[in-house]
Amino acid sequence: MHLNNVYITVGTTKFDALILAVTSEPALKALHNRKCTKLVIQHGNSEPLTVDDSQLIRKNYGIQIEQYKFRPNIEDIKSADLIIGHAGAGTCMDILNNEKHGLIVINDTLMDNHQLELAKQLASENYLYYCKVNDLDAHLASLDFEALKPYETQPENLKKFVSAINELMSF
Amino acid sequence: MTDRVSHPTYVILGSGGHTAEMCRLTQALLQQADVKQAKKYQPMRLILASSDSTSEHQFRQALPQASRSAESVKVPRSRSVGQSWLSTIFTSLWALIWSCYLVWRDRPQLILCNGPGTCVPFCYAAYLWRLLGRLPSHSRIVFVESFCRVETLSLSGRLLLPLTDLFVVHWPALATRYADKKNLRYFGRIL
Repeated sequence: MHLNNVYITVGTTKFDALILAVTSEPALKALHNRKCTKLVIQHGNSEPLTVDDSQLIRKNYGIQIEQYKFRPNIEDIKSADLIIGHAGAGTCMDILNNEKHGLIVINDTLMDNHQLELAKQLASENYLYYCKVNDLDAHLASLDFEALKPYETQPENLKKFVSAINELMSF
Repeated sequence: MTDRVSHPTYVILGSGGHTAEMCRLTQALLQQADVKQAKKYQPMRLILASSDSTSEHQFRQALPQASRSAESVKVPRSRSVGQSWLSTIFTSLWALIWSCYLVWRDRPQLILCNGPGTCVPFCYAAYLWRLLGRLPSHSRIVFVESFCRVETLSLSGRLLLPLTDLFVVHWPALATRYADKKNLRYFGRIL
């Protein structure tokens, strides 16, 4: 499977380690081997790559870099073959709802990291993968994204929720 | 029954993920097969933090029909991210006074919320005014825990579990953990 277009998103936080890990040599090599030609990086409050770095990556790996701080990102999500992000619920939901391959990278520096619970739960149900920053390059090289399941919504459960509220209001 | 018409449904919006989830839930409520039922949740009033510049737009885009008649009310925040705990006492108190005033004025039939800090004072205010008879006795408080809470409740959730009429969780671990709470329900995956 080819990952031509890879989208990196850190959300509203700062996650320098993720940007560094994705643009490290082994990670870029792994991406290159998977036919990645474009890396879109939403870096939020993290430091973006320098122009020199971007040019070097393009030259050495044939990967074009596009970076921005914040913008409405629905197009970025839709056009991505793989989304790499922090464990934010928003990022997880974007991956699920758009049926994208997803790799969540855990941010160890966040104290109350309850969001990790969600990534772990979703990973245990095979909807996405998660890993530590240090393992990112190895995972990019080896993960089988085809093995992930698409996320199916369950309208009948939502109906139960609605009925419960109707009943509660005794309408 | 007729007086219910004037009692709005409060939909409390928060930031980012909270709002996206709330849009889905409200959509389900308003677009249920039984149109007569759905109508009973109107009129809606959107409550959002004064610092929130995106939620209202997001909600109106997701529910263009239903939100046309929905007024929005901006309220002070209890606590901003990173705010010190001492000043939080004062801002929370201020938010509570605001909530008490709005709930007293509007007498909402239903408060629907899913976890942003803004919803806590509103639920307390509604609980209080219902006890004191200002709200109709059929008024209800519904809290849906954040989808990202798999094993532990959020702070808002812990503060509101004792007083909500319906408290919805998304994952089985929480349902098991709080199996003794009669108001806590797990419907399987709803989002």
